[in-house]
Amino acid sequence: MGEWHDWQSLLQSILVGLIFSYLLAKLISIVVSFKDENLTITRNTNITTTTTKTVTGHDVIHDDVVSEGVHRFEDESVMAEQGSVRNESVDGGDEDYDDDWEGVESTELDEAFSAATAFVAAAAADRLSQKVSNDVQLQLYGLYKIATEGPCSTPQPSPLKMTARAKWQAWQKLGAMPPEDAMQKYIDVVSELYPTWLDGSSLRSKTGDGGGPSSEARGPMGPVFSSFVYEEECGNDSKMDAIHGFAREGDMANLLKCIENGVSVNLKDSEGRTPLHWAVDRGHLNVTELLIGRSADVNAKDNDGQTPLHYAVTCEREGIAEYLVKHNANIHSEDNDGSSSRDICSSNWPFMQQHVGEVN
Amino acid sequence: MVDSNISSGSPEETQNPNPDGNAPSESDLALDNLAQKVQESLSLENRHKFWETQPVGQFKDIGNSSLPEGSIEPPTPLSEVKQEPYNLPNLYEWVTCDVHDEQMCDEIYTLLANNYVEDDENMFRFNYSKEFLRWALQPPGYFKSWHIGVRVKSSKKMVAFITGVPARIRVRDEVVSMAEINFLCVHKKLRTKRLAPVMIKEVTRRVHLENIWQAAYTAGVVLPTPVATCQYWHRSLNPKKLIDVGFSRLGARMTMSRTIKLYKLPESTVTPGFRKMEIHDVPAVTRLIKNYLSHFIVAPDFDENDVEHWLLPRKNVVDSYLVESPETHEVTDFCSFYTLPSTILGNPNYSTLKAAYSFYNVSTTTPLLQLMNDALIVAKQKDYDVFNALDVMQNEIFLKELKFGPGDGKLHYYLYNYRVRHALKPSELGLVLL
Repeated sequence: MGEWHDWQSLLQSILVGLIFSYLLAKLISIVVSFKDENLTITRNTNITTTTTKTVTGHDVIHDDVVSEGVHRFEDESVMAEQGSVRNESVDGGDEDYDDDWEGVESTELDEAFSAATAFVAAAAADRLSQKVSNDVQLQLYGLYKIATEGPCSTPQPSPLKMTARAKWQAWQKLGAMPPEDAMQKYIDVVSELYPTWLDGSSLRSKTGDGGGPSSEARGPMGPVFSSFVYEEECGNDSKMDAIHGFAREGDMANLLKCIENGVSVNLKDSEGRTPLHWAVDRGHLNVTELLIGRSADVNAKDNDGQTPLHYAVTCEREGIAEYLVKHNANIHSEDNDGSSSRDICSSNWPFMQQHVGEVN
Repeated sequence: MVDSNISSGSPEETQNPNPDGNAPSESDLALDNLAQKVQESLSLENRHKFWETQPVGQFKDIGNSSLPEGSIEPPTPLSEVKQEPYNLPNLYEWVTCDVHDEQMCDEIYTLLANNYVEDDENMFRFNYSKEFLRWALQPPGYFKSWHIGVRVKSSKKMVAFITGVPARIRVRDEVVSMAEINFLCVHKKLRTKRLAPVMIKEVTRRVHLENIWQAAYTAGVVLPTPVATCQYWHRSLNPKKLIDVGFSRLGARMTMSRTIKLYKLPESTVTPGFRKMEIHDVPAVTRLIKNYLSHFIVAPDFDENDVEHWLLPRKNVVDSYLVESPETHEVTDFCSFYTLPSTILGNPNYSTLKAAYSFYNVSTTTPLLQLMNDALIVAKQKDYDVFNALDVMQNEIFLKELKFGPGDGKLHYYLYNYRVRHALKPSELGLVLL
């Protein structure tokens, strides 16, 4: 055991040196590759300090992993490194927004790639994220390097540095793949790993702002588009059963199950609404047909005295209203205010002009 | 889980979009939150680096009452103002826009319609009409040089835009000549190019060249340092459409039928003498507005020319109504709203959301509640889908009562090169920017 420790500390000191120079080289390449985003990590002696400061905990984890001589990948390591790259780039700051413009339009691919790398960085930093196999991590790493730095031109790391070597190989084996292809492939891999990474809330909306440093376009000034805050109704103590919920959601299969299990098609919720009221309210013609087919009461009244036809008229659901009338809905049935669905119908629907019984 | 996403009042989080309905799995949500925080902190840092170099109230000075109110930097002699435009990246060039020019106006319209402000979930995008842009950009005394575009040199394609218009804005007892800065827009494909700071500096330079040293602007994000933070409220006029397009949502226990009944409005207005403003009303409306706005700490200083420009009705741009007493024929009350439609993105049934935005309202005889209810009725008659209002001026009086619901959008107001010691309450603010 003691021998192992000696060996370990020797290895550790060699590795620390190697990793440090690797990081330094990487940082310089970052300076170059991020230049067009106008992110300047000035090339001076501060580089050393910047490096030590900005390498995130994950790279430290990764270094520890190596120095412990554990020859496997910690789940986060490779991906987290990309995360730390982004962090560095941003920590690098943008003091001189005047200089250093590069007039190349960024393409949608650039932006998608940028968003994908930001997502991966965040995913890697988050322990809840699903585990990603080493192979895929290495693949992403290689693609990332090609996309941001181009073909691998650094010398092969020493065989002692298993991780670094595996990463180098992942990069090197992609040869002269064009950066655009690498970006696209990277996005494809991320999309496969996290099929929903773009549909979620935040990232997609931020895509326009690019991955971090480019947020000016949307953010800095101007009006705001606002829509309703969604508030869960509180103080609404109405109660409903499962069958009403299925009717409301248009869930035919579960609705049928309920009926077959003996739940009444005319079951009322606390507001006196039947499943038919709910189906009509939400505009589900198919559920309406199903319920009528199962002999639901077409003229059932809720606690306000309103029939499903009142609902259909209020919500201007013409197809459903017509269907209800054809199935003996009473256009003259009055609610508690004395209004019939015919009274409240502001649209000029011919089937609402006729008398009961003339249809059919 | 949901709570963690709703803005908690800390400035860094006010931009959080609201969670939507399809509840993601826990880890997805955690991921989203995390990714979002990372991105927000990054972008905030960048923005602030820019603003820290500008003469604006700084966060570190909040609560420091030893600093005087008023200009932060004295005007520099005009001869010392930089005479040449700031440098753009090589491929781009500045262009001064003439909004009278039909083709130019088309280009600006197209840039904004495709690239301007969207909601957090990218379901809607502002679609300012051409008539609106002409109105917004050409108030009395406007400077053409403040309508600034950026073109690609080779293709001449318009890829960015920013504007200023002159305004006299009173802060407490001092009337200050300011520029109202608006319509900053960078083409979506150029968002990584950091054009915004140079555009802001260029418009600032051109404002300085007119010997104007202060500006007012708004933003949805927290920058150093808001003069006031206001909230949008929304009043459904066409609830079924708003629900269908995702502008509002129907609670699980709420019926569409009841929602529609809840927002139903009378067919016609109720206040006797309620009518559209006409050109001969300008002097009376000016008196009314001037007196009313004097109650607020920050408000525009309107004269008759301004009122004629900003408040005389223009079709599909601005609507103004007043109450003329049937007996004395005196104009006693006034209300107005402007028209700002939005494109509905990716909805098969609808392509445009027609929104009215409360502008300036004055009540002296008719209760504000009744006046604004009539404004809602008119807006409904004119087929608007929603009526929006900020909680500025006395609007809080009617918002809840008239069934406005809170929005997810916060609007922060800012002054450039003008320090206000304490942030104002929305009700102390008498300014609406478009």
